[in-house]
Amino acid sequence: MAKTHPLVARQPNAPIAFLSKPSKHFGGIVGLVDAQTFISHVNAFVVALARNYLQDKQYAINLCKDRYLFLVSFCAVIKCKQTNLLAANKKKITQEQLSEQYEGSYLIHDGADVINAIPVFDASTWTLNSDAVNTSTDEQHWPHIEDEHLACISFTSGSTGQSKPNLKYWHTLHKSTQINGAFMLDGTDKTVFQVATMPPQHMWGLETSILLPLFDNVCMTDSQPLFPQDILDALETLPTPRLLVSTPVHLRALVADDTALPQLDNILCATSPLDPELAGSVETRFGCTLKEVYGCSEVGSMAVRKTATECSWRGFDGLTFDDKDDGTVVSAAHLPESIVLQDNIEFLDDGRFLLSGRVTDLIKVAGKRGSLLEINQILMRFNGLLDGVIFKPETENTTARLCAIVALKPNVDKASLIAFLREHLDDALVPRPVYVVDSLPRESNGKLLKNSLYSLLECLKV
Amino acid sequence: MTTQTEAELRMAELLVEALNLEDIEAKDIDPDEPLFGDGLGLDSIDALEIAVAISQEYGLKMKAEDESTREAFATLKTLTNFVANNA
Repeated sequence: MAKTHPLVARQPNAPIAFLSKPSKHFGGIVGLVDAQTFISHVNAFVVALARNYLQDKQYAINLCKDRYLFLVSFCAVIKCKQTNLLAANKKKITQEQLSEQYEGSYLIHDGADVINAIPVFDASTWTLNSDAVNTSTDEQHWPHIEDEHLACISFTSGSTGQSKPNLKYWHTLHKSTQINGAFMLDGTDKTVFQVATMPPQHMWGLETSILLPLFDNVCMTDSQPLFPQDILDALETLPTPRLLVSTPVHLRALVADDTALPQLDNILCATSPLDPELAGSVETRFGCTLKEVYGCSEVGSMAVRKTATECSWRGFDGLTFDDKDDGTVVSAAHLPESIVLQDNIEFLDDGRFLLSGRVTDLIKVAGKRGSLLEINQILMRFNGLLDGVIFKPETENTTARLCAIVALKPNVDKASLIAFLREHLDDALVPRPVYVVDSLPRESNGKLLKNSLYSLLECLKV
Repeated sequence: MTTQTEAELRMAELLVEALNLEDIEAKDIDPDEPLFGDGLGLDSIDALEIAVAISQEYGLKMKAEDESTREAFATLKTLTNFVANNA
Protein backbone atom coordinates (compact mmCIF):
# COMPACT_ATOMS: atom_id res chain seq x y z
CA MET A 1 0.00 0.00 0.00
CA ALA A 2 1.22 3.47 -0.83
CA LYS A 3 2.63 5.49 2.07
CA THR A 4 0.36 8.26 3.28
CA HIS A 5 0.41 11.19 5.70
CA PRO A 6 -2.58 12.98 7.27
CA LEU A 7 -3.95 16.04 5.47
CA VAL A 8 -3.81 17.73 8.86
CA ALA A 9 -1.39 16.40 11.47
CA ARG A 10 -3.05 18.17 14.41
CA GLN A 11 -5.34 17.12 17.24
CA PRO A 12 -9.04 17.44 16.24
CA ASN A 13 -9.56 20.25 18.77
CA ALA A 14 -6.29 22.09 18.01
CA PRO A 15 -6.76 25.65 16.68
CA ILE A 16 -5.59 25.76 13.08
CA ALA A 17 -6.97 29.14 12.03
CA PHE A 18 -8.17 32.41 13.53
CA LEU A 19 -10.81 34.25 11.50
CA SER A 20 -10.56 37.97 12.16
CA LYS A 21 -14.04 38.79 10.82
CA PRO A 22 -17.25 36.77 10.43
CA SER A 23 -16.66 34.60 7.37
CA LYS A 24 -19.40 34.79 4.77
CA HIS A 25 -18.07 31.55 3.32
CA PHE A 26 -18.20 29.53 6.52
CA GLY A 27 -21.53 30.41 8.10
CA GLY A 28 -20.41 33.61 9.81
CA ILE A 29 -17.86 31.80 11.95
CA VAL A 30 -15.38 34.13 13.67
CA GLY A 31 -12.40 33.50 15.93
CA LEU A 32 -10.75 30.12 16.34
CA VAL A 33 -11.35 27.22 13.96
CA ASP A 34 -10.19 23.81 15.16
CA ALA A 35 -8.71 21.09 12.95
CA GLN A 36 -11.92 19.05 13.00
CA THR A 37 -14.07 21.97 11.83
CA PHE A 38 -11.42 22.83 9.26
CA ILE A 39 -11.68 19.32 7.78
CA SER A 40 -15.45 19.71 7.48
CA HIS A 41 -14.81 22.95 5.55
CA VAL A 42 -12.40 21.12 3.24
CA ASN A 43 -14.98 18.38 2.67
CA ALA A 44 -17.64 20.96 1.82
CA PHE A 45 -15.28 22.60 -0.66
CA VAL A 46 -14.66 19.20 -2.27
CA VAL A 47 -18.45 18.88 -2.71
CA ALA A 48 -18.52 22.35 -4.27
CA LEU A 49 -15.81 21.40 -6.76
CA ALA A 50 -17.75 18.26 -7.70
CA ARG A 51 -20.97 20.26 -8.09
CA ASN A 52 -19.13 22.48 -10.55
CA TYR A 53 -17.84 19.46 -12.49
CA LEU A 54 -14.28 20.18 -11.46
CA GLN A 55 -13.54 17.03 -9.51
CA ASP A 56 -12.00 15.24 -12.48
CA LYS A 57 -9.76 18.10 -13.48
CA GLN A 58 -6.06 17.85 -12.81
CA TYR A 59 -4.70 21.29 -11.97
CA ALA A 60 -6.18 24.17 -10.01
CA ILE A 61 -4.67 27.63 -10.49
CA ASN A 62 -5.38 28.77 -6.96
CA LEU A 63 -5.58 32.57 -6.74
CA CYS A 64 -7.52 32.88 -3.45
CA LYS A 65 -6.57 36.00 -1.51
CA ASP A 66 -8.43 35.26 1.74
CA ARG A 67 -5.78 33.16 3.45
CA TYR A 68 -8.23 30.81 5.17
CA LEU A 69 -10.15 30.27 1.92
CA PHE A 70 -6.81 29.50 0.30
CA LEU A 71 -5.99 26.96 3.03
CA VAL A 72 -9.37 25.26 2.60
CA SER A 73 -9.27 25.21 -1.21
CA PHE A 74 -5.60 24.19 -1.28
CA CYS A 75 -6.43 21.14 0.84
CA ALA A 76 -9.66 20.37 -1.07
CA VAL A 77 -7.69 20.33 -4.33
CA ILE A 78 -5.17 17.94 -2.80
CA LYS A 79 -7.93 15.75 -1.37
CA CYS A 80 -9.39 15.49 -4.91
CA LYS A 81 -5.98 14.14 -6.02
CA GLN A 82 -5.38 17.32 -7.99
CA THR A 83 -2.43 19.70 -8.02
CA ASN A 84 -2.45 23.37 -6.95
CA LEU A 85 -0.63 25.67 -9.36
CA LEU A 86 0.86 28.55 -7.38
CA ALA A 87 1.21 31.30 -9.96
CA ALA A 88 3.94 33.88 -9.39
CA ASN A 89 1.31 36.60 -9.86
CA LYS A 90 -2.36 37.08 -10.73
CA LYS A 91 -1.85 38.56 -14.18
CA LYS A 92 -4.08 37.25 -16.96
CA ILE A 93 -1.09 36.50 -19.15
CA THR A 94 0.28 34.25 -16.41
CA GLN A 95 -3.08 32.49 -16.12
CA GLU A 96 -3.09 31.98 -19.90
CA GLN A 97 0.40 30.51 -19.92
CA LEU A 98 -0.37 28.11 -17.08
CA SER A 99 -3.63 27.01 -18.68
CA GLU A 100 -1.78 26.27 -21.93
CA GLN A 101 1.06 24.44 -20.21
CA TYR A 102 -1.13 22.37 -17.92
CA GLU A 103 -3.91 20.57 -19.67
CA GLY A 104 -6.96 19.97 -17.50
CA SER A 105 -6.50 23.10 -15.44
CA TYR A 106 -9.11 25.42 -13.93
CA LEU A 107 -9.13 28.54 -11.78
CA ILE A 108 -10.17 29.06 -8.18
CA HIS A 109 -10.35 32.69 -7.08
CA ASP A 110 -12.17 35.01 -4.71
CA GLY A 111 -12.35 38.19 -6.74
CA ALA A 112 -9.39 38.23 -9.15
CA ASP A 113 -9.52 39.38 -12.76
CA VAL A 114 -9.55 36.01 -14.54
CA ILE A 115 -9.41 34.58 -18.06
CA ASN A 116 -12.38 32.65 -19.39
CA ALA A 117 -10.55 30.11 -21.56
CA ILE A 118 -10.73 27.46 -18.81
CA PRO A 119 -13.35 26.62 -16.19
CA VAL A 120 -13.49 29.07 -13.30
CA PHE A 121 -14.70 28.48 -9.76
CA ASP A 122 -15.52 31.87 -8.26
CA ALA A 123 -15.31 31.16 -4.54
CA SER A 124 -16.11 34.76 -3.59
CA THR A 125 -19.83 33.95 -3.56
CA TRP A 126 -19.48 30.38 -2.32
CA THR A 127 -20.96 29.57 1.05
CA LEU A 128 -20.78 26.46 3.13
CA ASN A 129 -24.59 26.09 3.33
CA SER A 130 -25.29 24.24 0.14
CA ASP A 131 -22.24 22.06 0.38
CA ALA A 132 -22.01 21.27 4.09
CA VAL A 133 -21.74 17.56 4.48
CA ASN A 134 -21.95 15.27 7.42
CA THR A 135 -18.39 14.62 8.33
CA SER A 136 -17.39 11.88 10.61
CA THR A 137 -14.19 12.96 12.25
CA ASP A 138 -13.07 9.69 13.77
CA GLU A 139 -9.61 8.48 12.87
CA GLN A 140 -10.96 6.39 10.01
CA HIS A 141 -12.26 9.42 8.15
CA TRP A 142 -9.45 11.79 8.96
CA PRO A 143 -8.13 12.29 5.43
CA HIS A 144 -4.74 10.89 4.50
CA ILE A 145 -2.85 11.81 1.36
CA GLU A 146 -0.44 9.62 -0.55
CA ASP A 147 3.17 10.68 -0.10
CA GLU A 148 3.79 10.59 -3.84
CA HIS A 149 0.85 12.86 -4.67
CA LEU A 150 1.92 16.05 -6.45
CA ALA A 151 0.30 18.55 -4.08
CA CYS A 152 1.41 21.79 -5.69
CA ILE A 153 3.76 23.37 -8.19
CA SER A 154 5.36 26.69 -7.36
CA PHE A 155 6.80 28.96 -10.00
CA THR A 156 9.90 31.00 -9.52
CA SER A 157 10.24 33.74 -12.02
CA GLY A 158 8.69 37.18 -11.74
CA SER A 159 9.11 37.64 -15.48
CA THR A 160 6.96 35.74 -17.90
CA GLY A 161 9.52 33.64 -19.68
CA GLN A 162 9.27 29.92 -19.23
CA SER A 163 9.46 29.94 -15.46
CA LYS A 164 10.73 26.73 -13.98
CA PRO A 165 8.11 24.66 -12.19
CA ASN A 166 9.10 23.41 -8.75
CA LEU A 167 7.31 20.16 -7.97
CA LYS A 168 6.12 19.75 -4.40
CA TYR A 169 4.99 16.25 -3.54
CA TRP A 170 3.02 15.59 -0.37
CA HIS A 171 6.04 14.04 1.36
CA THR A 172 8.14 17.06 0.32
CA LEU A 173 5.63 19.35 2.03
CA HIS A 174 5.18 17.50 5.31
CA LYS A 175 8.85 16.53 5.76
CA SER A 176 10.18 20.00 4.96
CA THR A 177 7.59 21.50 7.32
CA GLN A 178 8.72 19.22 10.13
CA ILE A 179 12.28 20.53 9.64
CA ASN A 180 11.06 24.15 9.29
CA GLY A 181 9.09 23.87 12.52
CA ALA A 182 12.14 22.62 14.40
CA PHE A 183 14.25 25.59 13.27
CA MET A 184 11.68 28.37 13.07
CA LEU A 185 9.50 27.76 16.12
CA ASP A 186 10.52 27.72 19.74
CA GLY A 187 9.90 24.04 20.36
CA THR A 188 7.02 24.43 22.80
CA ASP A 189 3.84 22.33 22.69
CA LYS A 190 1.81 25.52 22.96
CA THR A 191 0.02 26.68 19.83
CA VAL A 192 1.54 29.89 18.53
CA PHE A 193 -0.75 32.44 16.83
CA GLN A 194 0.58 33.79 13.59
CA VAL A 195 0.16 36.87 11.40
CA ALA A 196 1.81 36.60 7.98
CA THR A 197 2.29 39.37 5.43
CA MET A 198 3.20 37.36 2.33
CA PRO A 199 0.57 35.89 -0.02
CA PRO A 200 0.07 32.13 0.46
CA GLN A 201 0.97 31.52 -3.21
CA HIS A 202 4.53 32.69 -2.52
CA MET A 203 6.79 29.90 -1.20
CA TRP A 204 7.65 31.79 2.00
CA GLY A 205 3.96 32.49 2.64
CA LEU A 206 3.03 28.88 1.81
CA GLU A 207 5.62 27.30 4.10
CA THR A 208 4.80 29.49 7.07
CA SER A 209 1.11 30.41 6.86
CA ILE A 210 -0.30 27.26 5.20
CA LEU A 211 2.02 24.32 5.89
CA LEU A 212 3.07 25.07 9.47
CA PRO A 213 -0.61 25.21 10.58
CA LEU A 214 -1.29 21.86 8.87
CA PHE A 215 1.61 20.02 10.50
CA ASP A 216 2.85 21.97 13.53
CA ASN A 217 1.52 23.93 16.50
CA VAL A 218 0.72 27.05 14.54
CA CYS A 219 -2.62 28.84 14.16
CA MET A 220 -2.84 30.99 11.01
CA THR A 221 -5.04 34.02 10.40
CA ASP A 222 -7.24 34.79 7.41
CA SER A 223 -5.75 38.23 6.83
CA GLN A 224 -2.98 39.42 4.57
CA PRO A 225 -2.19 42.77 6.17
CA LEU A 226 -0.18 45.28 4.18
CA PHE A 227 0.21 48.59 6.03
CA PRO A 228 1.79 48.80 9.50
CA GLN A 229 -1.58 49.60 11.09
CA ASP A 230 -3.19 46.56 9.40
CA ILE A 231 -0.43 44.31 10.74
CA LEU A 232 -0.75 45.77 14.25
CA ASP A 233 -4.56 45.39 14.17
CA ALA A 234 -4.21 41.75 13.10
CA LEU A 235 -1.72 41.06 15.91
CA GLU A 236 -3.92 42.89 18.40
CA THR A 237 -6.85 40.49 17.95
CA LEU A 238 -4.76 37.34 18.47
CA PRO A 239 -4.23 35.33 21.64
CA THR A 240 -0.62 34.85 22.83
CA PRO A 241 2.02 33.59 22.16
CA ARG A 242 2.22 35.50 18.92
CA LEU A 243 4.40 35.03 15.86
CA LEU A 244 4.90 37.54 13.04
CA VAL A 245 6.08 36.18 9.70
CA SER A 246 7.17 38.94 7.39
CA THR A 247 9.67 40.51 5.01
CA PRO A 248 12.28 43.29 5.34
CA VAL A 249 9.93 45.70 3.53
CA HIS A 250 7.09 45.24 6.04
CA LEU A 251 9.39 45.18 9.08
CA ARG A 252 11.07 48.41 8.04
CA ALA A 253 7.64 50.03 7.67
CA LEU A 254 6.61 48.80 11.14
CA VAL A 255 9.54 50.45 12.91
CA ALA A 256 9.60 53.57 10.70
CA ASP A 257 7.96 55.76 13.34
CA ASP A 258 7.59 55.62 17.10
CA THR A 259 4.16 53.95 17.26
CA ALA A 260 3.91 51.69 20.32
CA LEU A 261 4.42 48.09 19.21
CA PRO A 262 3.09 44.97 20.95
CA GLN A 263 5.33 42.45 22.67
CA LEU A 264 5.66 39.39 20.46
CA ASP A 265 7.15 35.96 21.06
CA ASN A 266 8.82 35.24 17.74
CA ILE A 267 9.45 37.01 14.43
CA LEU A 268 10.51 35.34 11.19
CA CYS A 269 11.72 37.24 8.14
CA ALA A 270 12.67 36.14 4.61
CA THR A 271 12.52 36.99 0.86
CA SER A 272 15.42 39.45 0.68
CA PRO A 273 18.50 40.27 2.75
CA LEU A 274 17.71 41.90 6.08
CA ASP A 275 19.88 44.70 7.37
CA PRO A 276 21.37 43.79 10.81
CA GLU A 277 20.62 47.26 12.15
CA LEU A 278 16.95 46.92 11.16
CA ALA A 279 16.92 43.42 12.71
CA GLY A 280 18.23 44.87 15.99
CA SER A 281 15.67 47.63 16.02
CA VAL A 282 12.82 45.16 15.31
CA GLU A 283 13.98 42.93 18.19
CA THR A 284 14.10 45.86 20.61
CA ARG A 285 10.73 47.29 19.58
CA PHE A 286 8.85 43.95 19.65
CA GLY A 287 10.78 42.54 22.61
CA CYS A 288 11.64 39.19 21.03
CA THR A 289 14.17 37.43 18.85
CA LEU A 290 14.01 37.82 15.09
CA LYS A 291 15.12 34.91 12.96
CA GLU A 292 15.98 35.51 9.34
CA VAL A 293 15.41 32.53 7.08
CA TYR A 294 17.31 31.80 3.89
CA GLY A 295 15.48 29.90 1.19
CA CYS A 296 14.47 29.65 -2.44
CA SER A 297 11.36 28.44 -4.25
CA GLU A 298 13.05 25.25 -5.44
CA VAL A 299 14.07 24.01 -1.99
CA GLY A 300 12.04 26.11 0.42
CA SER A 301 13.63 27.29 3.65
CA MET A 302 17.20 26.11 4.15
CA ALA A 303 18.98 28.03 6.88
CA VAL A 304 18.44 30.48 9.70
CA ARG A 305 20.35 33.15 11.61
CA LYS A 306 19.64 35.71 14.30
CA THR A 307 20.55 38.61 12.07
CA ALA A 308 20.90 41.21 14.84
CA THR A 309 23.84 39.30 16.32
CA GLU A 310 24.92 36.66 13.76
CA CYS A 311 26.46 36.98 10.29
CA SER A 312 26.63 33.28 9.50
CA TRP A 313 23.79 30.89 8.72
CA ARG A 314 22.92 27.57 10.34
CA GLY A 315 21.81 25.12 7.65
CA PHE A 316 18.75 23.04 8.48
CA ASP A 317 19.16 19.38 9.44
CA GLY A 318 18.09 17.01 6.70
CA LEU A 319 19.58 19.20 3.96
CA THR A 320 23.03 18.51 2.51
CA PHE A 321 25.07 21.37 1.06
CA ASP A 322 27.84 20.26 -1.34
CA ASP A 323 30.40 22.50 -3.00
CA LYS A 324 30.52 21.60 -6.68
CA ASP A 325 32.20 23.22 -9.68
CA ASP A 326 29.05 25.02 -10.77
CA GLY A 327 28.11 26.18 -7.29
CA THR A 328 26.63 24.86 -4.09
CA VAL A 329 24.26 21.94 -4.54
CA VAL A 330 21.50 21.27 -2.03
CA SER A 331 19.95 17.84 -1.72
CA ALA A 332 17.54 16.22 0.72
CA ALA A 333 15.62 12.96 0.97
CA HIS A 334 12.34 14.88 0.61
CA LEU A 335 13.37 16.83 -2.53
CA PRO A 336 12.65 15.37 -5.97
CA GLU A 337 16.05 16.54 -7.25
CA SER A 338 19.22 18.30 -6.19
CA ILE A 339 19.25 22.05 -6.69
CA VAL A 340 22.17 24.29 -7.63
CA LEU A 341 21.85 27.42 -5.50
CA GLN A 342 21.87 30.88 -7.08
CA ASP A 343 23.99 32.29 -4.26
CA ASN A 344 27.68 31.90 -3.57
CA ILE A 345 28.18 30.10 -0.28
CA GLU A 346 31.30 30.19 1.85
CA PHE A 347 31.54 27.44 4.45
CA LEU A 348 33.03 28.15 7.86
CA ASP A 349 34.86 25.72 10.16
CA ASP A 350 31.95 25.39 12.56
CA GLY A 351 29.66 24.07 9.82
CA ARG A 352 27.86 27.38 9.42
CA PHE A 353 28.09 29.39 6.22
CA LEU A 354 28.13 32.91 4.79
CA LEU A 355 26.24 34.07 1.73
CA SER A 356 28.42 36.05 -0.63
CA GLY A 357 26.49 37.34 -3.60
CA ARG A 358 24.58 35.97 -6.54
CA VAL A 359 26.11 33.53 -9.00
CA THR A 360 23.96 34.59 -11.92
CA ASP A 361 22.24 37.67 -13.22
CA LEU A 362 19.23 37.01 -11.01
CA ILE A 363 17.91 40.04 -9.21
CA LYS A 364 15.29 40.32 -6.54
CA VAL A 365 12.86 43.17 -6.03
CA ALA A 366 10.25 43.05 -3.26
CA GLY A 367 10.53 39.27 -2.98
CA LYS A 368 10.12 38.70 -6.72
CA ARG A 369 12.98 37.06 -8.50
CA GLY A 370 13.79 37.70 -12.11
CA SER A 371 16.62 37.28 -14.56
CA LEU A 372 18.01 40.56 -15.90
CA LEU A 373 18.78 38.77 -19.16
CA GLU A 374 15.20 37.61 -19.51
CA ILE A 375 13.81 41.02 -18.53
CA ASN A 376 16.02 42.69 -21.15
CA GLN A 377 14.87 40.16 -23.75
CA ILE A 378 11.31 41.21 -23.01
CA LEU A 379 12.31 44.86 -23.45
CA MET A 380 13.83 44.00 -26.85
CA ARG A 381 10.51 42.56 -27.99
CA PHE A 382 8.83 45.98 -27.69
CA ASN A 383 8.09 47.12 -31.24
CA GLY A 384 8.64 50.81 -30.58
CA LEU A 385 12.16 50.30 -29.19
CA LEU A 386 15.31 51.55 -30.92
CA ASP A 387 17.70 50.61 -28.15
CA GLY A 388 17.54 50.19 -24.42
CA VAL A 389 18.69 48.50 -21.25
CA ILE A 390 17.16 47.57 -17.92
CA PHE A 391 19.49 47.25 -14.95
CA LYS A 392 19.60 47.38 -11.18
CA PRO A 393 21.42 50.51 -10.03
CA GLU A 394 23.83 50.04 -7.15
CA THR A 395 22.24 51.92 -4.29
CA GLU A 396 21.92 51.94 -0.54
CA ASN A 397 18.18 52.09 -0.94
CA THR A 398 16.86 48.59 -0.22
CA THR A 399 13.53 49.17 -1.94
CA ALA A 400 15.02 50.52 -5.16
CA ARG A 401 13.44 49.24 -8.35
CA LEU A 402 15.03 48.41 -11.65
CA CYS A 403 15.96 51.29 -13.92
CA ALA A 404 15.47 51.55 -17.70
CA ILE A 405 17.19 53.82 -20.20
CA VAL A 406 15.65 53.58 -23.63
CA ALA A 407 15.64 55.16 -27.06
CA LEU A 408 12.24 54.98 -28.75
CA LYS A 409 11.12 55.14 -32.37
CA PRO A 410 9.49 58.42 -33.47
CA ASN A 411 5.90 58.83 -32.25
CA VAL A 412 6.24 56.05 -29.66
CA ASP A 413 5.66 57.28 -26.13
CA LYS A 414 7.04 56.11 -22.82
CA ALA A 415 3.58 55.18 -21.56
CA SER A 416 3.11 52.54 -24.25
CA LEU A 417 6.48 50.99 -23.37
CA ILE A 418 5.56 50.91 -19.69
CA ALA A 419 2.17 49.38 -20.52
CA PHE A 420 3.95 46.69 -22.55
CA LEU A 421 6.39 45.92 -19.75
CA ARG A 422 3.60 45.83 -17.19
CA GLU A 423 1.81 43.23 -19.28
CA HIS A 424 4.87 40.97 -19.37
CA LEU A 425 6.56 41.55 -16.05
CA ASP A 426 5.61 41.26 -12.45
CA ASP A 427 4.73 44.70 -11.04
CA ALA A 428 7.77 44.69 -8.79
CA LEU A 429 10.06 44.12 -11.78
CA VAL A 430 8.65 46.84 -14.02
CA PRO A 431 11.48 49.38 -14.19
CA ARG A 432 11.09 52.77 -12.59
CA PRO A 433 12.43 55.24 -13.41
CA VAL A 434 12.28 54.86 -17.19
CA TYR A 435 14.43 57.46 -18.94
CA VAL A 436 13.97 58.17 -22.64
CA VAL A 437 17.13 59.32 -24.45
CA ASP A 438 18.08 59.84 -28.09
CA SER A 439 20.68 57.11 -28.02
CA LEU A 440 22.60 54.95 -25.53
CA PRO A 441 26.32 55.55 -24.94
CA ARG A 442 27.51 52.35 -26.61
CA GLU A 443 31.17 51.69 -27.46
CA SER A 444 32.15 51.21 -31.08
CA ASN A 445 31.95 47.43 -30.54
CA GLY A 446 28.34 47.84 -29.40
CA LYS A 447 29.06 47.22 -25.71
CA LEU A 448 27.50 49.29 -23.02
CA LEU A 449 30.01 50.00 -20.25
CA LYS A 450 28.81 50.23 -16.70
CA ASN A 451 30.68 53.52 -16.17
CA SER A 452 29.07 55.28 -19.13
CA LEU A 453 25.68 53.93 -18.10
CA TYR A 454 26.05 55.23 -14.54
CA SER A 455 27.30 58.66 -15.58
CA LEU A 456 24.39 58.94 -18.00
CA LEU A 457 22.03 57.95 -15.19
CA GLU A 458 23.43 60.68 -12.94
CA CYS A 459 22.80 63.29 -15.66
CA LEU A 460 19.25 62.06 -16.23
CA LYS A 461 18.12 62.29 -12.62
CA VAL A 462 15.88 65.28 -12.16
CA MET B 1 -3.81 68.50 -16.81
CA THR B 2 -5.75 70.06 -13.94
CA THR B 3 -3.73 72.61 -11.97
CA GLN B 4 -2.37 71.35 -8.65
CA THR B 5 -3.38 73.05 -5.43
CA GLU B 6 -0.63 73.88 -2.96
CA ALA B 7 -1.60 70.88 -0.78
CA GLU B 8 -1.54 68.61 -3.82
CA LEU B 9 1.92 69.79 -4.77
CA ARG B 10 3.10 69.05 -1.23
CA MET B 11 1.62 65.56 -1.44
CA ALA B 12 3.14 65.03 -4.90
CA GLU B 13 6.55 65.99 -3.48
CA LEU B 14 6.06 63.45 -0.70
CA LEU B 15 5.25 60.73 -3.27
CA VAL B 16 8.25 61.54 -5.46
CA GLU B 17 10.50 61.52 -2.40
CA ALA B 18 9.08 58.35 -0.81
CA LEU B 19 9.05 56.36 -4.03
CA ASN B 20 12.24 57.69 -5.64
CA LEU B 21 10.33 58.71 -8.74
CA GLU B 22 13.49 60.16 -10.25
CA ASP B 23 12.06 60.56 -13.73
CA ILE B 24 8.97 62.48 -12.60
CA GLU B 25 8.71 66.01 -11.27
CA ALA B 26 6.19 66.54 -8.50
CA LYS B 27 4.56 69.43 -10.33
CA ASP B 28 3.88 67.16 -13.35
CA ILE B 29 1.65 64.69 -11.54
CA ASP B 30 -1.91 65.24 -12.70
CA PRO B 31 -4.19 65.50 -9.61
CA ASP B 32 -6.86 63.47 -11.47
CA GLU B 33 -4.62 60.78 -12.94
CA PRO B 34 -4.96 57.32 -11.32
CA LEU B 35 -1.99 56.59 -9.03
CA PHE B 36 -2.19 52.83 -9.52
CA GLY B 37 -2.66 50.64 -12.58
CA ASP B 38 -2.51 52.47 -15.88
CA GLY B 39 -1.83 55.94 -14.52
CA LEU B 40 1.32 56.51 -12.50
CA GLY B 41 1.63 52.71 -12.30
CA LEU B 42 2.22 52.29 -8.59
CA ASP B 43 1.83 48.90 -6.88
CA SER B 44 1.13 47.54 -3.42
CA ILE B 45 4.70 47.96 -2.16
CA ASP B 46 4.47 51.63 -3.21
CA ALA B 47 1.20 51.91 -1.32
CA LEU B 48 3.02 50.65 1.75
CA GLU B 49 5.81 53.22 1.26
CA ILE B 50 3.23 56.01 0.86
CA ALA B 51 1.39 54.91 4.02
CA VAL B 52 4.67 55.03 5.96
CA ALA B 53 5.56 58.46 4.56
CA ILE B 54 2.09 59.83 5.40
CA SER B 55 2.34 58.41 8.90
CA GLN B 56 5.72 60.08 9.39
CA GLU B 57 4.71 63.40 7.83
CA TYR B 58 1.13 63.78 9.09
CA GLY B 59 0.88 61.22 11.92
CA LEU B 60 -2.03 59.59 10.11
CA LYS B 61 -2.21 55.77 10.33
CA MET B 62 -3.89 54.43 7.22
CA LYS B 63 -5.24 50.90 6.91
CA ALA B 64 -5.12 49.10 3.57
CA GLU B 65 -8.19 47.13 4.59
CA ASP B 66 -10.42 50.20 4.95
CA GLU B 67 -12.67 50.99 2.00
CA SER B 68 -11.90 54.69 2.54
CA THR B 69 -8.19 53.99 2.00
CA ARG B 70 -8.90 52.35 -1.32
CA GLU B 71 -10.86 55.45 -2.35
CA ALA B 72 -8.14 57.75 -1.00
CA PHE B 73 -5.45 56.06 -3.09
CA ALA B 74 -7.34 56.69 -6.35
CA THR B 75 -5.62 59.93 -7.36
CA LEU B 76 -3.34 62.65 -6.02
CA LYS B 77 -6.45 64.76 -5.38
CA THR B 78 -8.33 62.11 -3.38
CA LEU B 79 -5.22 61.27 -1.35
CA THR B 80 -4.59 64.93 -0.53
CA ASN B 81 -8.23 65.44 0.49
CA PHE B 82 -8.22 62.28 2.61
CA VAL B 83 -5.15 63.39 4.54
CA ALA B 84 -6.54 66.92 4.95
CA ASN B 85 -9.79 65.54 6.37
CA ASN B 86 -8.30 62.88 8.64
CA ALA B 87 -4.89 64.02 9.83
